[in-house]
Amino acid sequence: MKSIEMQAVEARYNDVDAVYHETRDLRLLGFVFFLISDCILFSSFIFAYVYLRTSAPTWPPFVDGHQLPWFDTSYAALNSVVLFGSGVTMHYALENWKHLNRQAFYAWLVATIILGLAFLGGQAHEWTGVLQAGVTWPGSTMGASFFTLTGLHGFHVFIGVCYLTILGIQAHKGVYTGSKYFGLTAGTLYWHFVDVIWVALFFLFYLW
Amino acid sequence: MTAALLERTIALIGAIVVAVTACVQLKDDWKASGLDAVITKLLLGLMAFGCVLALLAALNVVGVH
Amino acid sequence: MHAGTATHDTHDASSHIHPPPEGFIAKYVFSLDHKVIGFQYFFTGVFILMIAGSFAELIRIQLVDPNGAIMSHSVYNSMFTMHGTAMVWLVLIPLVTGAIGNFVMPLQIGARDVAFPWLNMISFWIFPVAAVILFSSLLFGSPHAGWTEYPPVSLQDGTAGALWCMAIFVIGISSTMTGLNFMVTIIKMRAPGMTWTRMPLFVWATFATALMNMIATVALSAAVGALFLEHVFNVPFFDPSRGGSAVLFQHMFWFYSHPAVYIFILPAFGIISEVLPTFARKPIFGYKMIAFSSMAIAILGFTVWMHHMFPSGVAPWLQIPFMILTLAIGIPTGIKIFSWIATLWGGRIHYTTSMLYALGFLIAFTFGGITGVILASVPVDLHMHGTYFVVGHFHYVVAGGAVMGFFAAIPYWYPKATGRLMSEKLAKLGFWLFFIGLNGTFLPMHWLGMEGMPRRYASYAYFAKAFPDAVFWNRFETVFSFFMVASVGVMVFNLVWSLKHGKPAGINPWGARTLEWTISSPPPYYNFKHIPEVYDRPYNFDKPLPYGNLDNVVDVYPKFGEIVMPSPVPEPVGAGH
Repeated sequence: MKSIEMQAVEARYNDVDAVYHETRDLRLLGFVFFLISDCILFSSFIFAYVYLRTSAPTWPPFVDGHQLPWFDTSYAALNSVVLFGSGVTMHYALENWKHLNRQAFYAWLVATIILGLAFLGGQAHEWTGVLQAGVTWPGSTMGASFFTLTGLHGFHVFIGVCYLTILGIQAHKGVYTGSKYFGLTAGTLYWHFVDVIWVALFFLFYLW
Repeated sequence: MTAALLERTIALIGAIVVAVTACVQLKDDWKASGLDAVITKLLLGLMAFGCVLALLAALNVVGVH
Repeated sequence: MHAGTATHDTHDASSHIHPPPEGFIAKYVFSLDHKVIGFQYFFTGVFILMIAGSFAELIRIQLVDPNGAIMSHSVYNSMFTMHGTAMVWLVLIPLVTGAIGNFVMPLQIGARDVAFPWLNMISFWIFPVAAVILFSSLLFGSPHAGWTEYPPVSLQDGTAGALWCMAIFVIGISSTMTGLNFMVTIIKMRAPGMTWTRMPLFVWATFATALMNMIATVALSAAVGALFLEHVFNVPFFDPSRGGSAVLFQHMFWFYSHPAVYIFILPAFGIISEVLPTFARKPIFGYKMIAFSSMAIAILGFTVWMHHMFPSGVAPWLQIPFMILTLAIGIPTGIKIFSWIATLWGGRIHYTTSMLYALGFLIAFTFGGITGVILASVPVDLHMHGTYFVVGHFHYVVAGGAVMGFFAAIPYWYPKATGRLMSEKLAKLGFWLFFIGLNGTFLPMHWLGMEGMPRRYASYAYFAKAFPDAVFWNRFETVFSFFMVASVGVMVFNLVWSLKHGKPAGINPWGARTLEWTISSPPPYYNFKHIPEVYDRPYNFDKPLPYGNLDNVVDVYPKFGEIVMPSPVPEPVGAGH
């Protein structure tokens, strides 16, 4: 009975495809550049937030004579851990695929999607709480920056969840093999990227 | 137990678990080469750092206003 | 002597030739071929050039009378806004990157297409969509606040302002994707043996431009995205009464828009670096310095944006470093100018139209660059910001630089694209009309600006009371602006006429040495049947062509003006694919 490692090696040996490997290189670099440009997008809005916050006379700002409340750090810490956990589960999913453990791959992928949806649900709850506390999108620069940035991030998470679901369906259909799985790599990188952006936003809105 | 305390407890436990797992994975993958491996290591590392921040937030060390 | 007799095939993936596209739609509408996409950008860009140029003519006619000759102030404001917006985003960037970059760059690196042809096609089709969105804003009252659309004034534009934001956001996606595509292409798909220091300088220029396109345009998307949110959802980024900051928009906008001007000009620099050695029959002087300075300009270009904001109330301790950096960025540019002059020095110069445009570029761009260095100085800028001096400066570098570079590229690569030479007589007429028109229109703006004539004013009667000469000079400028209109008309006529009546071009009418001149004119859809091998830089005119594995038998010492038809290298017996 061949070991997992030997099976993986054989799968690669028999599945050599020069055209695939050449285009995989191109696609990987293109995808990394895409992530860099996405980083610039977030950085621009983060610049706007930092500028508005540092030039405001007080923070949180005053609206209609009342000072707006700070955000709920403990809740956000929990939600952040949910998202970071999903990053780890996605990493396990990809590792299992590379070692040809399909069942484990699906299990970890589903776990990632569930945690991602849980994060989005948590964000929705956070948003209702923030709105109830009087911080609205058009009402103040605090709301403007918070809802724009977390909204942009949440949109990216939503796209990520859709992307991972599609990857799962494609894997089920047999699109990916033991040595040709660039879509899965790209999906994992995208998911980690979305995670790391959240690290920055968590710091900027909740810890600063 | 207030909601905030419960949240912070779960966050604390979760942050430790995820941070440790991320660091273990990072150690295992340390030698891997290739653009995707380098990016993965970078992002996993930053994620582990994020867990540390969440841990400190759960302990009320940072993020107290 | 002939080169290119080895026909061994490199079996890497980039040598894989796909079947030809079938049907009109696949061949000419939704084509994946970078050459066709280059044509598409070219037609659309030139068409919009004529629209935006007409707006400019309306502006010039308005200024014939100091009280404003033909338009209400509101319509005038709309004219300069749409002229600037269309020229920057729908003419200049698509033409130099999308048209020339798309057509030439893959050929020069010996590739069969760009890295992501499908993305390239989508990048193109977004462009007419953005144009439609922008021009549709005219139906909703039009934006009025200039191509920079600063809030809070621009927030008064309502729906038109929101449409402006949408149009810019959409074209921004196109630019970012093209930048990404070109970067991956240049990094990964160069022919074997083409190291970074053996690339043609146009490819270096395209690489530096693509880097800026990929990074800076996203910042613009954020700026106009935020402005759009403020227009439509009242989100207070820029409204000072609710804690926002109008200067914030200027920071976000100019962080992109300064690199944008280098996006216009770097491809033009690349074109000049190709044209000058070919028509002076001399190696380019200072290849490494030119390549290095392209990258330096791309990177330094991100550090100087505040020089557009000197009078906006930013702190003096911030103004000084930006002034110093702006002066510093003149250095790599100056290195290039001197290298180009040194390239010409001692060469045997052929005064083709491309060479004339290149020489005109050297004069006009240098002059515009010098006025830029003048404006870099904070005390001078505080006096001249918002005057015609600035308008004169940027038209010299943009119309005298980027546009003349683009016009130099047209007769140079038209033979490669179509297989026919353009009419030299018509093209030269077009050059002289343009060059005389350019100087006549934009030179007087400098002294008008120094005297204080404000820009973006529909009438200058108040200014003309103090300086009555202003009326004469404005009329002078208007007359000469029609020379430029005539020049574009002649060029468009020449483009169409030469398709039927131009002399056949052959493989290499100019005796140039970059890879696109080793394949037939026009190239086959797959560009290269065998991916060539590269042994050296393409600029050493006294050495044989540094290539191997060529598709055609070519002269190793290509001569200017010699019409050589393609003569394919015979396949060895039993060679398959």
